Amino acid sequence: MTETTVSPERPLVVEEGEEQRGFIGQSVPRKEDKRLVQGEGVFFDDVKRHEMGFVHFARSPYAHARIKSVDVSKALELDGVYGTLTGDEVAILTDPFFELSTPPGANIKDYALAVGKVRHVGDPVAAVVARTRELARDAAELVEVDYEPLPVLLDGEEALKDEVVLHDDAASNTVWSGIFDWGDFDAALAEADHVVRIERLHFDRFSSTPLECSGCLVEYNRGTGQWTIHGTHQMPGVGAIWMAPALRVGIDKLRFVSQDIGGGFGNKITLHPQFTACCLLARKLNRPVQWTEWRTDQHTANTHGNERTFLDVTVPVKADGTMLGFSVRAIDDCGAFPRYEPLGCIIWAQVTPGCYRWRNVRVDFTQVCTNKSPVAPNRGYSRMQHLWLTERIVDIVANELGLDPVEVRKRNYVKQDEFPYETPNGCVYDSGDYARCLDIALELIGYETIEDRRREAESRGKLLGIGIGSTLDSGTNNFGQSMILNPELQFSGNNEVATVKLDIFGEIVVTLGTVPQGQSHETTTAQVVADILGCSPDDVNVRAGHDTYWNSHAGFSGTYASQFAVTGLGAVKGAADKLAGEMKLLASAVFGCSPDDIELAEGHARIKGNPEAALPFMALGAILNANNAGLPPDLDISLNVRYVYRPPFEKPDLERKFGNLTLTYATQIHACVVEVDPETGVYEIVDYAAVDDCGKRIHPQIVEGQVHGATAHALGAATHEIFTYDEEGNLLTPNFYDYHVPHALDMPPMRTGYVESESPFTPLGAKGMGEGGGAGIHAMCAALQNALGRRGEGPIVSRSCNPYHRVWELLQNPSESRKLVTVESR
Amino acid sequence: MKVTGERAFQAPRATVWEVLNDPSRLAKTMPGVESFDIHDDKRWSAHVKIPLGLGGLRMSIDFEKTDEREPEFAKLHAKGNGVGAIMNMDTSFNLSEAGDGTNMQWEADVHILGPVASMGQRVLQPIVSQQVSHVLAALDAQVREASAAGASSEGV
Repeated sequence: MTETTVSPERPLVVEEGEEQRGFIGQSVPRKEDKRLVQGEGVFFDDVKRHEMGFVHFARSPYAHARIKSVDVSKALELDGVYGTLTGDEVAILTDPFFELSTPPGANIKDYALAVGKVRHVGDPVAAVVARTRELARDAAELVEVDYEPLPVLLDGEEALKDEVVLHDDAASNTVWSGIFDWGDFDAALAEADHVVRIERLHFDRFSSTPLECSGCLVEYNRGTGQWTIHGTHQMPGVGAIWMAPALRVGIDKLRFVSQDIGGGFGNKITLHPQFTACCLLARKLNRPVQWTEWRTDQHTANTHGNERTFLDVTVPVKADGTMLGFSVRAIDDCGAFPRYEPLGCIIWAQVTPGCYRWRNVRVDFTQVCTNKSPVAPNRGYSRMQHLWLTERIVDIVANELGLDPVEVRKRNYVKQDEFPYETPNGCVYDSGDYARCLDIALELIGYETIEDRRREAESRGKLLGIGIGSTLDSGTNNFGQSMILNPELQFSGNNEVATVKLDIFGEIVVTLGTVPQGQSHETTTAQVVADILGCSPDDVNVRAGHDTYWNSHAGFSGTYASQFAVTGLGAVKGAADKLAGEMKLLASAVFGCSPDDIELAEGHARIKGNPEAALPFMALGAILNANNAGLPPDLDISLNVRYVYRPPFEKPDLERKFGNLTLTYATQIHACVVEVDPETGVYEIVDYAAVDDCGKRIHPQIVEGQVHGATAHALGAATHEIFTYDEEGNLLTPNFYDYHVPHALDMPPMRTGYVESESPFTPLGAKGMGEGGGAGIHAMCAALQNALGRRGEGPIVSRSCNPYHRVWELLQNPSESRKLVTVESR
Repeated sequence: MKVTGERAFQAPRATVWEVLNDPSRLAKTMPGVESFDIHDDKRWSAHVKIPLGLGGLRMSIDFEKTDEREPEFAKLHAKGNGVGAIMNMDTSFNLSEAGDGTNMQWEADVHILGPVASMGQRVLQPIVSQQVSHVLAALDAQVREASAAGASSEGV
């Protein structure tokens, strides 16, 4: 069941004689749906080439081992096998990928295939190309690798001891470490009436798995030395920064193409090793090659979300429930390679105090490697883990001090009249109304009757609990934050590109730099362009997908970090505004009037107040492109404009680790009601509400779709999804047989609501909002804790994922988890 | 995965020792053995098909005796390669006299790697336990057969 509390303010159909109020804000039909629903989407695996070969990777069965030899001869003997690639070849033909970290992480050598050592189960040691996918898979089984097994390291805290070291070149498992200290934590501690200490919290390893696994079809042009990569990379500009130097070519030699991509969620940001291997194979074999990742490969050896342990959490609290900040030691486990890392060591700082007015924060952050799959930015990247910490702090403090979780939130939330609000580390929360969002969420779940329902549930032998999750979806990165980790990096700001042109028959054609994976960019782009040019979204042709050849991309192009509504549509708006200006100039030249006298409406450029004097867009396109003799020589227009949107960012203060790390902050307040069977630990979500404030909503239905999807990912992470390894580093949840992601039928009854606090910093007042599902994890943990015992009693929920067996364990031995928390009252 | 056990044989220790150190007899105790090659008295190899799901898991296994103290102790290392699985096993046994019979204490440390290992111990443990019980039953039969052969030759 899904209910929306407030209907869209604007009608979907404008009746004759009614004023057209613009398409922004309306749930117009999605442009993408027709082809997708009819099965006419084009995903990379739909792209075929004559004489192409299929790639399959031979992968390590060991979590940690030295490679003594690799013998591909038996694979090559099979009829239909075109060739192979080994780590030894890769080490000769390429350089290690660029590392973002300072030492020790900077010294790690990461190649397209394992060189010298394997460091996680599934680490690719060789690649085989064959006539069919099945043959390639069979041939990969014939690759003989002689391994010398090494001790396995699977625990982040153990990794700190460096008794077993994954990367000999780094001589340490630590990738990056640093201390963040803002405000005056010691003074806050001295001022506190209570100090709550939490010994340990652990955010489990999971992944927001996309429907489509990864892959690519790679062609190599021997004449130009250029590779064309039809693939699923969701941030190819950055992918090229890794791949081109490794392949020892310029970035112009890599052309990325995609039309439709079946979800990304960050998993598809670190595909450079696999894509580089395919580039080498296409060149070596002089034939197109296609790699399609199997689900087991994706789970075992692509990417997971960051796993993080929080130790020694200390929270100073005033008698009235005001929290003054916190300190914590965080250990982040990034798996075998820090491919996008150590960016996760700073990204969390975008939301340092969460939704709260906490001014004193000290974080000792260390990231380590272990013999598990590498990680990548996973929906809510790094902020999700940190916000789970802030929400656990609030609920554990409330529980231990006997405070009301609603009241304590409202007391500590940043207030509506405090925006724009600068956090202790210099981030600026642009707008919001957290308390109002919470009120709506509570109303949607019927909070006023919750105690009656609790008693009613108890009469049925069930434990009922309510939980709240308050999160921020920080969007539009300032890449300058990477310099806080490594001052040598030359990245800052952000950018995105769009082109808009008026073609000869009046067609409006838009290309985007973004690489959509299901976020409806074609639809929302058409809404923005239509409003600016005065036409219908149906008249706006938005090219599907991405192509380097369109020249409509910049260094940070892509779809990630909740930013399309700001950077993508900011670029679209900039380009459309420029085109509108050129169209008015052209019309004014034709009519012999001032451009200020021209308006664009109903597909025409017309003189204001004189609708009869109107040129259809077709005429404008035709005049400039095909009938331009006699136009004024100084009319400097092309009707084909390219616009680069750059958000207003400064470089951060590296010494203080201080600055505005991201531009917008969408709010998500979720509330959850669970019923637990105390005999078995089995529970059911009986009520759920999600309230989102992402500023101006360009397309309410698309926003709601993102809310549903992100919530499903969060509830999966909260209830079932854990990447579990055995003691030898075998992944025990390698595919959907063992790793359950929520289906539609698994979703609880869900109500949604919204608030629109427009951002003062963005071109349309909108904020990115795709990654806000973390609130669901927090709400579930809080609801379970509330159900199992209240007011200083009952177990402490200290893990982010709580399958039934963990709840049963908490019920069986509540005192064990209670040892994690102590309270010092003065 | 560690498995240990104890087994009593109604046969003298020398007979049990002989069976346990005769590769050709040992081959008859192995589950799903399809071929067997003896390289020398310390090294032999086998192709087996272990019942596991549809079709079973085919594996080639190399055995090497790494330690022995006749007639009471021997240690064996086995390394198997198959499609989707690698097995490493270290096993050892102690034989002690128990009246007319022999008592065997044994242990094995089995490591399964590769996609098969992802099924996890909860699935693999019962399979290993079942195979171990088959091996021990077959070993019992081999000891009885050797014992009977010894008795008949003594009779001649």
